[in-house]
Amino acid sequence: MVRFKKRYNLAPYLFILPALLMLAVFIYYPIIQNFIYSFFRFSAFSPTKTFVGLDNFKNLLEDSVVRTGLVNNVRYAVISVIFQVFGGLVVAAILEDKLLRRVAPLLRVIYFMPVVISISVICFLFTFVYHPTVGLLNKFLELIGLKSLAKPWLGLPNTAPFAVIAVSQWQSIGYIMLLFVVAIQKIPQELMEAAEIDGAGRFRRFFSVTLPQVKETLFVTTLITVTGAFLVFNEPYILTRGGGPGTSSITLAVHMYLSGFFRDNMGYASTIAIVIFLITGVLGVLQATLFRTGKDE
Amino acid sequence: MGRAKAKSKWSNLLCVIVGLFLLAYAVVIVYPLLWMVMSSMKSYNEIYRNVWALPSEWLVSNYVTAWNVGISDYFLNSFLVTGATIVLVLLVGSLAAYGLSQYKSRLIDVLLIVTMGGMMISPQVTLIPLYVLLNEIGVHNTRWALILPYVAFRLPLAILLMRSYFLGVPKELEESARIDGCSPLEVYWRIFVPIGKPIMLTTAMLTAYYAWNEFLFAIIFIDSNKFKTIPSGLMNFRDALRTDWGVLLAGMVIASVPMIILLISLQKHLLRGMSEGAVKG
Amino acid sequence: MLRKHLGVGLLIVLLFTAVAPAFAQEEVVIRFFHRWPQEPRNSYFAALVKEFQELYPHVRFEVDYVLNDPYKEKIRVLVSTDELPHIFTSWSYSFAQNLVSSGRVKELSEFYAENADWAKDIMPAQIDGFRVGDGVYGVPMTIDGKAFFYNKAIFEKHGLQPPNTTDEFIALLDQLKALGYDMPIMEGLMDAWAVSHYLGTIFQRILDPAVMAKDYNPATGEFTDPGYIKGLEFFRTLTEYMGPIATAIDHETARNMFAAGEVPIVYMQFAEIKMLQRTGFNDFAFFNFPAFPDGKGNPNGLTGAPEGLMLAHNAPKEAEEFLKFIISYDNMLRFVEADGQFVAIWNCLPEDLDEVSLAAYNLVLESDEVVPWLDNAVNITIADIFMRGGQNLAIGVTTPEEVMAQVQKAAAELRKATNN
Repeated sequence: MVRFKKRYNLAPYLFILPALLMLAVFIYYPIIQNFIYSFFRFSAFSPTKTFVGLDNFKNLLEDSVVRTGLVNNVRYAVISVIFQVFGGLVVAAILEDKLLRRVAPLLRVIYFMPVVISISVICFLFTFVYHPTVGLLNKFLELIGLKSLAKPWLGLPNTAPFAVIAVSQWQSIGYIMLLFVVAIQKIPQELMEAAEIDGAGRFRRFFSVTLPQVKETLFVTTLITVTGAFLVFNEPYILTRGGGPGTSSITLAVHMYLSGFFRDNMGYASTIAIVIFLITGVLGVLQATLFRTGKDE
Repeated sequence: MGRAKAKSKWSNLLCVIVGLFLLAYAVVIVYPLLWMVMSSMKSYNEIYRNVWALPSEWLVSNYVTAWNVGISDYFLNSFLVTGATIVLVLLVGSLAAYGLSQYKSRLIDVLLIVTMGGMMISPQVTLIPLYVLLNEIGVHNTRWALILPYVAFRLPLAILLMRSYFLGVPKELEESARIDGCSPLEVYWRIFVPIGKPIMLTTAMLTAYYAWNEFLFAIIFIDSNKFKTIPSGLMNFRDALRTDWGVLLAGMVIASVPMIILLISLQKHLLRGMSEGAVKG
Repeated sequence: MLRKHLGVGLLIVLLFTAVAPAFAQEEVVIRFFHRWPQEPRNSYFAALVKEFQELYPHVRFEVDYVLNDPYKEKIRVLVSTDELPHIFTSWSYSFAQNLVSSGRVKELSEFYAENADWAKDIMPAQIDGFRVGDGVYGVPMTIDGKAFFYNKAIFEKHGLQPPNTTDEFIALLDQLKALGYDMPIMEGLMDAWAVSHYLGTIFQRILDPAVMAKDYNPATGEFTDPGYIKGLEFFRTLTEYMGPIATAIDHETARNMFAAGEVPIVYMQFAEIKMLQRTGFNDFAFFNFPAFPDGKGNPNGLTGAPEGLMLAHNAPKEAEEFLKFIISYDNMLRFVEADGQFVAIWNCLPEDLDEVSLAAYNLVLESDEVVPWLDNAVNITIADIFMRGGQNLAIGVTTPEEVMAQVQKAAAELRKATNN
């Protein structure tokens, strides 16, 4: 390790200072404030805060909307892992197959396109797709003779959450797929060739070579997806105007936003934020640990 | 002999199924987008009455209206915010990465953990206190209200990525520079920054993707129509054009096309960039 | 010689100091905040701003606009700081009261008195919406009413009559259904405010006015009257006639279905009449919300309170001039012609006004009770529970009793918070 002269001892810290300052002010200070705020009741436009002790926490435990939100977040997590992680892996593996060498780049771009489109655009587009009378989905079902399956997708409590989750899959499978493509491309050629020579068919090769080799990516992408599922805000907020109908498609983040900015109860919103933080914090620790073991010093 | 034949028949069938599957997936992605473009040139009545048909009259005027109603402002703001975020992340991040990679001490280890800790805290969770804080510093409803938090939240990952990369820089390069009398800052600027270009490009791409598409802060920290970025501006846009679905769709197309063009032209770099570090999220 | 030069010099200096102020007139900035990013109002106000600037060249405007729901949030935040816009739009009654309680809204009694000539054109009944305590804090601009609009052709074809009571209304809906209209009435329940418009009128019709006044006040609200449950039950019944797509569409779509002749009845604001006419649909009429058989509220009350303009306490004189500029016969007439909604100026109607609009206008003028929108009348937390509750009733996941239990709990907390 290069040693710098004594008079530069301050140097390393000067380099880190700006970053540290930003982290402290915009990340750490707010998170501590969050904990403090949860003991108060106040609104966005009144400077006065009323101390309410543990009231916010008590209300949280009794709040059925929090339970609905949590359920939807879990649904999000499970479905996203199935479609994005496993679906993405399967598609990536297929695209990396020799046979598809020519088409693969084109398909990769197509599948990745939704990822670069703004979430607002995608949600508006799907508002059209899900429209009960003139939407693409119902019209398509009519076309192929399945009119009886046509529903007001965003209007019923048992279809709305899933309709929202489906939109996220539409957008994000491509992203995770590309991560797997990268990981698969890194698999040493010799391993694949050796397996081929041994007579392993495509399925066999997938399970015995590809899968073990992308273990790390598998783990990381699952973590990212699950964390994202507990943080999701955009899709339910835009598609169902804040978790409707009623609160059937609400998520924790949406509930937090509405509590703080619509119902003027910032203290309670901070309490919900703590719940989200605890869940995603644990997942984040897992991810950070993985990063460290992945890249050694 | 029969077995080989059965096997090839089976694998042929599989190929067909897989092919159909890939095709279906591609259609599910492409068709709604094509519909969006096609319908953007229709009038509301046409969209409502005839979903599948091509426009009877190609209303390219919808695009002009969309541009004038505000899409141009949203673009400008997104560019400014994303650009500033990238520059600051690269600058502040690379300085920190350099510091954290070149020195060793217990304090450095602590600072490293503090940086990684930043990754554990997601932006949504700090929404309320950040809102209050930004109001207090007086940047609410300015572009800085977005740039500052964006930079802060992208720093941990950027620092870690760049630091890993810097750790791989050969010691000889650095030592020879020191012998030549360069101060640490000069070493940073003359050696690490040029060498670090690939990782900086990756970091820039990841940061751009995040900042360009960020939604939650964008709708809350900025109220004025003239400062809104694309994701949040489009919400206003939709509200303003309730019955004019055609113009709304035109605006959506305008907002999407640049990124798609960028994607198509930079796809090779994308793969390489993700290869470098995107696995870590 | 010197004295002559000195004299001329002095003269020049004197002239300068006399004339200079005219050149040195400082630039005045007016911050104007409204809630219409959409046409035609956006252009209308932009045009007025431009014209005003031509009259007063030293004035510079900062105009901002956000739609409906964000507007409600933003104006409340702004009114708590000194960043309050100088002139801004506001709803009346409780909404106005809330803003006034910040202490930053200009009291206008003097303004009205000083400009009596201008003020005489304004409808006094509409000014009432902006009275808080002893003062007046706003100037009404638009007036409105909400009623059930029906398709005349369909009614005439089957010999149907507008109902007078809610029982007759339900019977009418049954009749329409039997005649093959699967969705005899429609609403876009995705828009939570649409729910609040229904509930607001329903509660007003059912409840004793004294009970309603007590409940809507955060300091005393209890919401224990059984009338609320009856009202929610009625709303739920109505939504059954709307069918399952109601919760998946917005109000706009419901109105368009009405305009397309797909749905015979829709609950709509008079401000939307012109929007219907623009689609080419003209064969419609309206009836006021029917009376409940044992309802204690005024059966002639018309839901739909005025909306107007307010001034910040530190607004420059030019902002007051701008206010008078907007609320003037000529400019308000332009507004009516461009937008269609009625204004609070006497006789400010275009000459070629159609029958239905005229009837609507007269109804607004004649109504003896103005019923404010529910989400302006009660605290937002309570309104939110009612709105979500209404949606939940429509999709069948809750009961009126459950909704009221939630309301009562929130009202209790509100009482506690307000009285401390």
